[in-house]
Amino acid sequence: MAVGAIVHGTPSDAHDEPVDSLYAETRDMRLLGFVLFLISDVVLFSAFIFAYLYLRNSVPQWPPLGADGKQLPRFDTLFAAVNSVVLFGSGATMHFALESWKHGAKKAFNAWMASTIILGSLFLAGQAYEYIHAKVTWAGSTIGASFFTLTGMHGFHVLVGVIYLIVLMGQANSGVYTKLKHFGLTAGTLYWHFVDVIWVALFTLFYLI
Amino acid sequence: MEEFVGLERGVAMFGGLVVGTTALTALINDWQATGLDNNVTKLMLGLMVVGCVLVVLTAFHALGAPSV
Repeated sequence: MAVGAIVHGTPSDAHDEPVDSLYAETRDMRLLGFVLFLISDVVLFSAFIFAYLYLRNSVPQWPPLGADGKQLPRFDTLFAAVNSVVLFGSGATMHFALESWKHGAKKAFNAWMASTIILGSLFLAGQAYEYIHAKVTWAGSTIGASFFTLTGMHGFHVLVGVIYLIVLMGQANSGVYTKLKHFGLTAGTLYWHFVDVIWVALFTLFYLI
Repeated sequence: MEEFVGLERGVAMFGGLVVGTTALTALINDWQATGLDNNVTKLMLGLMVVGCVLVVLTAFHALGAPSV
């Protein structure tokens, strides 16, 4: 009960409205369209990941040798682990934000959404810090090119996601969504979970193996 | 960053456990939910739990090469 109150807040500000027939009829189609969009994004990342794996397996040792003949360094695993926790944490807060909205708790929704936006921004700041202190460059090696391309593409998705969440929060507070009619929030949650899951793959590929 | 290694390990360990447990709890609570959106959410929550396990193992030095 106590955990439920923390997650969902008080339902005093519930906002019920009947679902119109057009919304009910098109929701499933829009949801399918959005899931197909996410799948197309998976394909995009997969293409780059396989290119990275190909490059990785085309040299006798990894990380490869630099221009000076010395082996290039690995990335800071522990820092990336902390940054990963920040991003995964934002996935959890986003989940609670949607659940709060479904339970009609607008204040809790706003708190969880704000937390998600802050954590997403923190992740981006962490990634910027890592880029500034990276010991490889984009043009200097295959590991640098792969790292900056893939994590940069992911970071761009996170940046778009943060902007998307800010827009969704604004829409929710200006009455665009109701307790029963909130497809935009569902799509935003799916998108945010998606960028989390892509990071699991990138974290494994660049830092763990 | 050498001076922050202990702090980083602590944050990764604690954060990974908290977020992983939270995601697992959410996954268990949503397990009976049906529909495309709920099923995709369950899949992604599951993968998020896997990510948290990887982070915790990294913090324990069970995974990942030594940082440079």
